[in-house]
Amino acid sequence: MSWNKRVQWAHGVAGLILISALAGCNRDETKVYHVPKDDSAPSQPASAQPEPARPAPAATTEAAPPPDMGSPAPPPDATSLPQIKYQLPPGWKEKQLTEMRVASFGVTGPSGKSADVSVIPLPIVGHDLELVNMWRAQVQLPTTSDPDAAKQAVSVAIGAEQGRLFEFVGNQPMVGKSRQRILVAMLTRGPISWFFKIAGEDTFVSSQKDSFLQFLKSVSFADEEQPQMAAPAPAAAPQGQTETAPSIWTVPSGWQSVPPSQFLLAEFSIPGANGAKAEVNVAAMGGNGGGLLANVNRWRGQIGLGASAENDLPQLAHPLDVPDCKATIVDFTGTDPKTGAPTRLVGAIVLQNDRTWFYKLMGDGKIVAQQKDAFTKFIQSANYANAR
Amino acid sequence: MRTLVDRLIGILVSLRLTVILLAFAILLVFIGTLAQVDEGLYNAQARYFRQWIIFGLDLFGHRIPLILPGGYLIGTMLMLNLAAAHLYRFQLTTKKIGIQIAHAGVILLLAGQLATDMLAHESQIRFIEGQTKGYSESPRNYELAFTSDSGGSGEEVIAIPAHLLANGGDIQNPNLPFTIRVKRFWKNSDTSFRAPMMKSGPPLTPNGVAANFDFHVAAETKNPDEQNVQTALIEIITANGSLGDWVVSGWTSDEEMVNALRQEYAQQLGPDMAQKIADQLTQPQSIEAGGKRFTFALRPARVYFPFSLKLLKATHTVYEGTDIPKDFRSRVQLNNPQTGENREVEISMNHPLRYAGLTFYQYQMDAGQAAQQAGRVPSSALQVVRNPSWLTPYVGCAMVAIGLIIQFMFHLVGFLSKRKTL
Repeated sequence: MSWNKRVQWAHGVAGLILISALAGCNRDETKVYHVPKDDSAPSQPASAQPEPARPAPAATTEAAPPPDMGSPAPPPDATSLPQIKYQLPPGWKEKQLTEMRVASFGVTGPSGKSADVSVIPLPIVGHDLELVNMWRAQVQLPTTSDPDAAKQAVSVAIGAEQGRLFEFVGNQPMVGKSRQRILVAMLTRGPISWFFKIAGEDTFVSSQKDSFLQFLKSVSFADEEQPQMAAPAPAAAPQGQTETAPSIWTVPSGWQSVPPSQFLLAEFSIPGANGAKAEVNVAAMGGNGGGLLANVNRWRGQIGLGASAENDLPQLAHPLDVPDCKATIVDFTGTDPKTGAPTRLVGAIVLQNDRTWFYKLMGDGKIVAQQKDAFTKFIQSANYANAR
Repeated sequence: MRTLVDRLIGILVSLRLTVILLAFAILLVFIGTLAQVDEGLYNAQARYFRQWIIFGLDLFGHRIPLILPGGYLIGTMLMLNLAAAHLYRFQLTTKKIGIQIAHAGVILLLAGQLATDMLAHESQIRFIEGQTKGYSESPRNYELAFTSDSGGSGEEVIAIPAHLLANGGDIQNPNLPFTIRVKRFWKNSDTSFRAPMMKSGPPLTPNGVAANFDFHVAAETKNPDEQNVQTALIEIITANGSLGDWVVSGWTSDEEMVNALRQEYAQQLGPDMAQKIADQLTQPQSIEAGGKRFTFALRPARVYFPFSLKLLKATHTVYEGTDIPKDFRSRVQLNNPQTGENREVEISMNHPLRYAGLTFYQYQMDAGQAAQQAGRVPSSALQVVRNPSWLTPYVGCAMVAIGLIIQFMFHLVGFLSKRKTL
């Protein structure tokens, strides 16, 4: 073979390698498109989710349903929300209900400044410090660990009842906005806390404070029954089995089933002498539910105890024998931050396949001591195959 | 110089090189197969086969410090070895024509496979009856998309592949009047609604979706049937200062993930509440910069088409008296404003639509009696494949077959004539 021909081959071979190497390039660059606007598309009804098409990520418990395309935000079904009545202060305008609001208003001042007013009922009792920190975060104030932070609230009339009024103002302007102020009035009625909030530019919200207080005074609750946002609650207290989740647990005698709050699957009340009582509730979350330490500290916080460190867990948490599950039980004694009464909390976390179940017995120390064994048996009686 | 080139050519055309490369190929297949146990199918493919050189192996939890040729290098070298040997020993005689054609066929197969691997792209369209889509989405890759109004009925999309976020640091683009600073990037993540009784600690940022949802890092899944849902914490910085930190996550923009979450919450809180939470999760996030409003999301990477497909009817039939699928069929309306085409097409199993260099295969289906009973609108998913070299395996195989037949016929005819003369 001639030299020239060999050199040609060498060039050809080099060219082939170069083409091969470059063929895959330019696939992972930033791209710029000019496309028609994504017009609104129909979607599956919210209550009818299709069967799984692509498995969910590792962190998610349930298989992912498939081709529900797009999810436009329908306004909440007003009939399913708790109802209140009120008198609208001058200048306030009703807005479309979004998220979990049962009432929503906008106020705009002559200078164009505006504030947003919302009324949201949530199944939360206590958790004051967490709530305070949530509102502080909204005006970009640093988180506080001061357990007395919630005591800054002042009494306020909400309808015929007395609630608590919190006020927060940012100490610096927020990005793209001026300094923000939030006024939140909170009223706990049974298992539900009502949150009335006005938020907006500092001086404008201050100027609306009187109107806001007047609005609070005008509120009346449409009925005296406890509002329920979640699925219908079970009827009264059948002995033996719960109605919300048939046959999941064997319910000890003396436990009275009560309508579970929004984030709970079951709730029981255990009455004692002289008005003392304890409560049992059950919740479930996908995955590990935040982990042992976070939940232990959440429970400790509920009875006014300080957070524990990871190293303390072996002393605080003990294994609990539950068939086919990994379960841990904790037992703390503290005080009810609201009433200051001594309170005992027995909590169990049960890891069942890819779900975590939270069981809590909390209340009067004597009742909790008497019911601890029954509580343990209740947890061990669970038949998760019957869980929805 | 000549001696060196001669030696190089000698190596390139040698059978010894072929044997060494085949030995490496066997070793690579063995290692790649074992690696799937720990790394999963896609990671093992990317690390061992879609790679030029492999630096170090990880098998059964042990690191083995070895440097090996990757799949790309072995395949390319095999192709070059074969091509060089073929050309080097090329003789234009009728007697050898069959061998030449068969070898050319094998070279075409190798080159075609390399081209397929590097140029082919797979994505999916998921739509319900009545829905129109002008794009398909990647089933596993995400992109950070900034969308702004470009006037009229159009919008400009600047899409940054998510893997560029994984490196952290600042990202700039001439079309964006701001810098994106990636503060955190999680290959897989989980999210939870910041219900006050469940949450602990402050949000990642008070802006946008993070005000109502917590995002946590999750262990990366290697299971090909599961998906890593990426999440990043970014800061958007304009010439006038920062526009704050924002969380962008596949959880907010990947319809399948949102549905998975909605289903999970529906089990715990009922469908109405789950829908409200899902609506909150999918609220668009936007900022204003450079006189424009940009909506942004970390969403499944899109491939836009100059045409659109509307799902007219999804049909799922089963064998009578059983649940065994008999037929999946999607009737779609193809509308291409550029060519004026507007026609109906039927896509079914083994009968894909080939259009504009793309092939649309029937992939998944949620229709028929099951969907009807559950009150769901029938839906369909199409696998969209762009493979410019899709013909090469057919042509390559045909060439090998023809070459071998010709070669065999030469031998047969020669043998028969020889026997006749005996």
